[in-house]
Amino acid sequence: MRVLRNIFLAAVALYFLVPLLAMARFAFQSVPVVLLTPDKLLQGWSISGLLDVFANPEFQKAAITSLQLMVLSILVTLVLLLPVAALVEIRAPRMRTLMAGITLLPWVVPPIALVVGVAATFRNTVPWFLASPYSLVPFYVLWALPFSYRALDAGLRAIGARTLYEAARVMGASTFTIIVRVLVPNMVGAIIAASVLTAALVLGEFAFAALLLKETLPTFMAEFQRSEPRAGMALALAVMLLTAFIIWIGVRVLRRRGMELQAAGV
Amino acid sequence: MRRRFDTATLVVAVPFLAFVGLFLFVPTIGLAVKAFTPGGTLGLSAMQRALEGSYRTAFVNSISLSLTSALIGGVIGLLVALSLHSLSRPRWLRSTVDSWFAVAAQLGGIPLAFAFIAALGTQGIITKVLGLAGVSVTESGFSLSEFWGLVLVYLYFQIPLMFLVMMPAVGGLRQTWSEAASIMGASSARYWRSVALPLLIPAFLGGLLLLFVNAFAAYATAYVLNPGAQIVPLQIRFLLQGNVITGEQDLAYAIVLWTITLLLASLILVALLQRRTAKWASA
Repeated sequence: MRVLRNIFLAAVALYFLVPLLAMARFAFQSVPVVLLTPDKLLQGWSISGLLDVFANPEFQKAAITSLQLMVLSILVTLVLLLPVAALVEIRAPRMRTLMAGITLLPWVVPPIALVVGVAATFRNTVPWFLASPYSLVPFYVLWALPFSYRALDAGLRAIGARTLYEAARVMGASTFTIIVRVLVPNMVGAIIAASVLTAALVLGEFAFAALLLKETLPTFMAEFQRSEPRAGMALALAVMLLTAFIIWIGVRVLRRRGMELQAAGV
Repeated sequence: MRRRFDTATLVVAVPFLAFVGLFLFVPTIGLAVKAFTPGGTLGLSAMQRALEGSYRTAFVNSISLSLTSALIGGVIGLLVALSLHSLSRPRWLRSTVDSWFAVAAQLGGIPLAFAFIAALGTQGIITKVLGLAGVSVTESGFSLSEFWGLVLVYLYFQIPLMFLVMMPAVGGLRQTWSEAASIMGASSARYWRSVALPLLIPAFLGGLLLLFVNAFAAYATAYVLNPGAQIVPLQIRFLLQGNVITGEQDLAYAIVLWTITLLLASLILVALLQRRTAKWASA
């Protein structure tokens, strides 16, 4: 039984590691697979592929766009969501079920579905809106909701927001002051977690950007790999590791405060 | 005196609800209206055609791809959770797997597809190694762009997702229960059948549905591996990206509406199962 279990765990580990290693080899070793023999295993390793990508002006443009989308999405998430999450928690707990339900809706309407609806409604009525890459921001905020809302909600509960609120209230603070000067400083962890999860989502979203013909990092990546397989692979690996690192930060920050990143926001 | 809805809550809730309404409900409702008014007149023809011919094939393929990857990923994810639960050392293993799976559950998309191409594509390193060992991947009929290839790649985010869903439930199994069962003379098989499994099954079924939804909506990975695959997300892309005869747009709306209906039904089931699990846990 124990042997079986260890073999099973080792097989699972291999399944998760091998594609990453294969990716790294493809990206950083300039020997094509066909010509690869055991004695050539150590030849031709270099990070030139990755450097080529960084020097590519189109990459820089796409990366900057993605970075801007990321920052804007995080800002909109915090400005829009944090006060609602806070006030629902401290003053209208009965609305919690409603909020939990609303923030799960993005799961029902995934990007590939919503893009059709957006094309059907906004393209005719407000065509200027879809012309700008920034039009992606509200939708990215939306898809991050299952994660960002739950991270903020967990944070509010962990610090006992209602007690803090009552205490500050008794001392005469206004609601605005309470949120900005009492709650926010106390829930930095949850805010970081909500932000990095939003960032990871922006870094990976492809369907919506591609179908609205916006050049973001993921859409650039898909295109670029066709012409430059090796450099494209290096870029994909870099983005994957960056995403993994970003999410890992979120998980760590939450765990250290005794909270869990709830699976898929459910 | 506190009013039922105080001003401050309204002041922040209204913009939020307006945001969700404008960017989620307006497009969705607009789409539903168009799906039911093909060519501008009320009718069910688009909704009907969306389930016929090649579109029916796409739905059947998507459902079986999502179900298969959910079942296999679900079982493996559950087994990993159980294996780790029974394993107390090495200590680092548990926390490493925990963190890595929290990350991997979100790693779908373009880079993931590239990773598998590097490993198992025609020029992949594993393809090469297996070839040296006398196993030809191409001749075996396996291809990343076919059904089982997609399943294999989807497992990369399905297994971790099920692991994350099951960890709380598995963590809730107390050592004392299996001890109590064995003192009362139950075999290990009996303990699993009568105690552990009934406790795990609601969470597991909920997890399966979640994995199903997750796979059904996945787009980027499949797009890279096989842009022409007959699955719903890629069909939607095909219909949306021009090159289509007028009137086919209505078909896209109808297909999306069916998709949303399917996902909504699955998630409502998840919620019902969760309510049941919660009742159990607090009892």
